[in-house]
Amino acid sequence: MSELLAKVAEILGAPETLVQRSAEARAEASGNTVEEVLQSWAGGEAIAASAPVVEEAPVEEVKEEVVVEEAPVEEVKEEVVVEEAPLETMEKVIEEESVELKKESSLIFIAGVLGVAMFTYFFAFAIPKNQSADLVAESLNNEVVVSQEVLKGAQVYNDLNCQSCHTQNVRLLIPDSQNGKILKNKFADEIIIKNTGLLRLGPDLSTSATREPTNNEKWLTRYLTDSASVRDTIPHPNYDFLSTSDLDYLLTYLLSLGEVNE
Amino acid sequence: MKIKLIPNNEQDLSKVFIFLLPLVVLLSASINFLKDAFRSFSNVLPGNQVLNYGFLDKLSNQISFNFLFSFILVVTVVYLLSKSLGRSIIIFPLFFLTGLGLIGIEFIDVVLAFISPEQLLDLGNTSVLLLIKILLVGAFLGLILLNFLAKKEPSIFLSSQFLLGAVVFYLISLLIYRSEYTVMSDNFFINSMYLSTHIYVGCSFVFLSIFYFLITKGMQATLFSKTLGTISFWGYLFLLPWTGFKYFYGTTLPDWIENVSIYLSLSLIIPLLALIVNYSKTIATKENKEPVFSVLISFAFVVFGLTNVLQIISSISNVTPIVSLTNFEYSVRYGYMYSLILILIPFVYHLVPKIYGREFIYGRLETLNAYLLGTSVIATLSLNTLIGINSGFSWNAGANAGNPTIYGEGFLITWSLISTPYTFILFLSLLFLLSTFLFTLSTLKAIIGGSVTESETVSEISGDNDE
Repeated sequence: MSELLAKVAEILGAPETLVQRSAEARAEASGNTVEEVLQSWAGGEAIAASAPVVEEAPVEEVKEEVVVEEAPVEEVKEEVVVEEAPLETMEKVIEEESVELKKESSLIFIAGVLGVAMFTYFFAFAIPKNQSADLVAESLNNEVVVSQEVLKGAQVYNDLNCQSCHTQNVRLLIPDSQNGKILKNKFADEIIIKNTGLLRLGPDLSTSATREPTNNEKWLTRYLTDSASVRDTIPHPNYDFLSTSDLDYLLTYLLSLGEVNE
Repeated sequence: MKIKLIPNNEQDLSKVFIFLLPLVVLLSASINFLKDAFRSFSNVLPGNQVLNYGFLDKLSNQISFNFLFSFILVVTVVYLLSKSLGRSIIIFPLFFLTGLGLIGIEFIDVVLAFISPEQLLDLGNTSVLLLIKILLVGAFLGLILLNFLAKKEPSIFLSSQFLLGAVVFYLISLLIYRSEYTVMSDNFFINSMYLSTHIYVGCSFVFLSIFYFLITKGMQATLFSKTLGTISFWGYLFLLPWTGFKYFYGTTLPDWIENVSIYLSLSLIIPLLALIVNYSKTIATKENKEPVFSVLISFAFVVFGLTNVLQIISSISNVTPIVSLTNFEYSVRYGYMYSLILILIPFVYHLVPKIYGREFIYGRLETLNAYLLGTSVIATLSLNTLIGINSGFSWNAGANAGNPTIYGEGFLITWSLISTPYTFILFLSLLFLLSTFLFTLSTLKAIIGGSVTESETVSEISGDNDE
């Protein structure tokens, strides 16, 4: 008997206790002995058809809340046990819950995720971005115009990633606005826009060309090539590897700040 | 130990990836340390076109947020997707080629950075390769969707839900990065959305995918509630992409989008609470009593929770103007990345016996390393937060007192407040580098010299015993 039970349990891939209970319930319902039921299951006949239903039943089919995430197969099947319930009732419960389970279809889930992603893309990004551009187009004095030399200098500034430490971004907040020209939303060359920066680690450079000593070309040249000789208290990278022309362009750009991003 | 260069299935592929993963983490930590060193001592250290803070900052972003992230994403998808969906990956050769292409393109981007440093953009997407990257991520997403549609499990496990979310928003972030800069506000639109979709959603979703796998399968525990898991999933999916705008408060961004960002950031408390309850109730049923394994998962969870708390704190009306445009955002950005790296370590430890059939022994080295990693990461985040608040306060105070610190004259005062924390961060990043080295050592030691144990078969990996 125990060998037969073990064999059936192995065939069905279910714990022996569960198979035993199911066989007892089936035997009681059909009027056969437990051994006969087990034999028929082992041979894959008649009654065996109901058994795989048990095998396929994951935990969510019985109790939606107690999902076993990545749970071992054994654990899942233990949850399916319906105390002494006749097999027909069990099948019915499983069938009803199976219908509910189909709601968690991949298609609906995928549609939901893609829906949220598209909603976010359009409402948090594409639409407000275009609206901002439209508003600027309707306003007066809506463009930052700079010379080609300044643009080349802006490119050098960007290549060196100066904007990772320096902003050119006086905010529309009281402490900021007391001390400089607020950054206005305007059309500009891509590189000029990128150079406004996102993080203030070093000083803000919005108006650096309007102040001492950063409006002094000689001082700037020395500072950019050998910063420690000018100010050794604050670390600043040396750009002595720049070509003469690139350094000149960079100086031209830095000496234009204060006029550009008003 | 046998590693096939052309894998036939997800187990072979996982073998290659698990072998390489610690090395990629080590590379990322090394560049990060170099960057921190050149930030604090740039006027003392010898510099050139590569060895300067500006370049190293871009390179560090590219290696951590692009190369390492895509590597982790592909590894996680390869191992967890089939496990969650209850079947082997369909069209595996194509899947393998796409994943390899994605990692390869990120690697080429890093190599090109050295050949042509000036072409390396802020967050590491050279324009030449961006289009190919979009196509590859699109194909990768398509293959994942096909596998979802062909799943055998009746329910969709949380791990695979988070993986799908991560890949979808990875694609969105690349599309955003291609956008044109036409007006000043675009700088903030593009960068804040790129940050929040690529890093906030991407890193946290891959983290949560591994996290749910480890607290159930890894710790041999039963998930407390799928409903709470689902609340976390949809909550983070909807809220996180909006949370980046508040760090540019007062700039040329429209007021309404800054305010929406603040309110939605405050709402992060809902998915966070759901996650905390789910985690604490789930681990109460754990059967895996290995303390180091639990400690690593707990540290990763604490870092992730802390990052969420920072997001919520920065939404308080008095705090937002102070922390905008400061290092505070760095705490959040690196918080998500570090939590992912921290959860990766127990994930690799868990997979070594499964994939290689080699026993992983948690010795004193692993115990020491777990605490070293956890404390160095938490301390780094705390110091970045401190720097953000300190500098924000000093700029505001200086401006109010008529001493405009943001324009250089009073910057010495600000620097005196933040230079010491920066030096500490440099020391901590050295500790982190040491920890990642020890992690690499432990993993390789187990893979090469660990005693033989029973490994998972391919059908066990896929969770499909019928095949």
